Amino acid sequence: MEKRYIKKDSLNGRVKKMAEAGLVYAPVKDGDNVLFQVLTPGMEPLTAYANSKNAPKNFFFPHTEKLMKYTRTEKGMAFSGELAEARDAVLFGVRPCDARSFVLLDMLFDQEKYRDPYYVARREKTTVICLACIHPPYTSCFCTSVDGGPTDAAGADILLTDLGERYLVEFLTPKGEKLEAHFAGEKAGDEADAQKQAITAQAEQEITSRIPAKEIKPILDANFEHPFWNTIHQKCLACGTCTYLCPTCHCFDISDEQKGDDGIRLRNWDSCMFPLFTLETSGHNPRPTQKERWRQRAMHKFKYYVDNFSAIACVGCGRCVMYCPVNIDIRKIVTDISKL
Amino acid sequence: MDHELHTSEEIKTVENVEKKLREEAKLLLAEKKVDVLVGYEAGTLPMTATPCFITAPEEADRLVWNAFCVQNLAKFVQDLISLHRQSQQRVKPEARTRKVVGVVARGCTTRSLVIQLQERQFNRDDIFVVGVPCGGYVDKCKVAARVAGQEIREASLVGDQLSVKTAGEAKTLPLGEILADNCLTCRFNNPVISDLMIGSPAPAMAPESEYAGVEAHEKLSLAERWSYFEKEMAKCIRCNACRQVCPSCYCPVCFAEQSQPQWVGISEDETDTQVFQIMRLYHMVGRCVDCGSCVAVCPMGVDLRTFLKKLDKDVFELFGNRAGSSLEDLPPLSQFKEDDREDFIYDPQKAK
Repeated sequence: MEKRYIKKDSLNGRVKKMAEAGLVYAPVKDGDNVLFQVLTPGMEPLTAYANSKNAPKNFFFPHTEKLMKYTRTEKGMAFSGELAEARDAVLFGVRPCDARSFVLLDMLFDQEKYRDPYYVARREKTTVICLACIHPPYTSCFCTSVDGGPTDAAGADILLTDLGERYLVEFLTPKGEKLEAHFAGEKAGDEADAQKQAITAQAEQEITSRIPAKEIKPILDANFEHPFWNTIHQKCLACGTCTYLCPTCHCFDISDEQKGDDGIRLRNWDSCMFPLFTLETSGHNPRPTQKERWRQRAMHKFKYYVDNFSAIACVGCGRCVMYCPVNIDIRKIVTDISKL
Repeated sequence: MDHELHTSEEIKTVENVEKKLREEAKLLLAEKKVDVLVGYEAGTLPMTATPCFITAPEEADRLVWNAFCVQNLAKFVQDLISLHRQSQQRVKPEARTRKVVGVVARGCTTRSLVIQLQERQFNRDDIFVVGVPCGGYVDKCKVAARVAGQEIREASLVGDQLSVKTAGEAKTLPLGEILADNCLTCRFNNPVISDLMIGSPAPAMAPESEYAGVEAHEKLSLAERWSYFEKEMAKCIRCNACRQVCPSCYCPVCFAEQSQPQWVGISEDETDTQVFQIMRLYHMVGRCVDCGSCVAVCPMGVDLRTFLKKLDKDVFELFGNRAGSSLEDLPPLSQFKEDDREDFIYDPQKAK
């Protein structure tokens, strides 16, 4: 696919132009946080930022989503779908780890047997522009341990790599090529590949967090009842910070909200860290304490997802490491499991 | 062995408190005065200390005490005791055991313990309070602001200074400029109850300006106050970290999790978030010790403190009560007095 150079200082202008032409989500400064938001006139998209506080998964899998409406009528219940027509959109400035999360989420939401129409509609209409990490933004980044990389393009339609004075623009998919007009510039040749390779090697070397994430699956297979699980959850607050900021966590709960004869059915994010998550109608809870909940979180990411989709459900963004209120560090947990 | 003998007047620096704390912890565990000691240990990231549970004397060297120790550990005391009590229900009466939970407690932590005791969550002899003097903890957001949001790669505390390194710069910041707001104006930075005090009392902070932020907020119009509330709550992602970390939020089932009837929706609808937060705030009336844990753990930086502090100010002005300040001073909502003020109660007849 085609490769081009664009001047570094022209990028912000180009993104803003795109936002004039259509819907663009971009990382912006909101108080102390960097968040992905709809870019409106007057807003500055960030191009030299570390990473956003929230993962961009909510553009495809929103925190709350209306699935359908229902009404009680004299003839019984009447249902109507609420699949809103997805709009063409651009998701700009996604980091490679987060872009990779879309590939992982696709495995679940876009299967042959089970296809989530809500997710798929938005995913198909959205073009993902990824910003490669020429320096890993955080010391807790560990993408290279989970099949990712600082300049990886998985999940992206366009990849931008900072080459110093200019960006290398790589159009990776037909969807990406459609935005070609916004990235007019000099054609890049093979020399760009060499330069990118050097940058990649340097960035990979700067990632100092390395964990044996790919080695623990057989250990997890055999150690569901290991006493190790008694040791990690004690300080866990049972909040949802890790799961709600995680780019790959995707569990949800479905609830109905009703007024009179009319109701809506909603899908909401849920968290395996919450006691309510597995509470059954009878009052029985198969995961009665935080121990079982933590085991589930570790198992789901590093065993069950591998069983089901042959991929680890973690992209190494480091959000849960940085924002866990009690510093439960998944890097340490994975390393400890590897020694069981 | 008499613990009083170990306590010397010279233990003033925070490093010495930490050293003494480890010594005392070893003794407490060796003498089986506590079954577990809840304290802080170093975290895996710079500027981080994290709760830990020490059950054997040889583990006591993990304990740290410094300005990175943030969370109010009373939450874990309540959790441990209630879990133990639940587990004892399945044991024959003659085989039941008692569990004494020790806790490293600064002023605000002891105030939370007082509240839990007043609310009959456990007995005084179920806990062993290892009191520590507190000079306040570091507000990571304030540090981040001083280094233009760069990631802190290294941090060390020396005396009243914090030295930090980012990828590009090194800075030394006086603690006084980067302590959490609640610490800067703390009225109770020394324990209000303890079974063993480590070190000499910490010097006073600046409680006289405790309500400065609230007073500024009170001067705003109703519309402005509401729009501030709306703006702050719009940041909330309903992760429940504020509730989960709070020592006063110990209900086995929170109203927000009841489904029959469902008091509040689970969606990110702004009214649901506001209802959840308003109800949680009002459950804190006379029960918030301003430990700042909810603010510190919030991943989105929601300003909960302005609202909590307003409620605290109202309770003090109406009833003269400061939450958890002493075992004798009962919380106003836990007692009845015939001469309680009621002129603040809204009377629709009068309003007409």
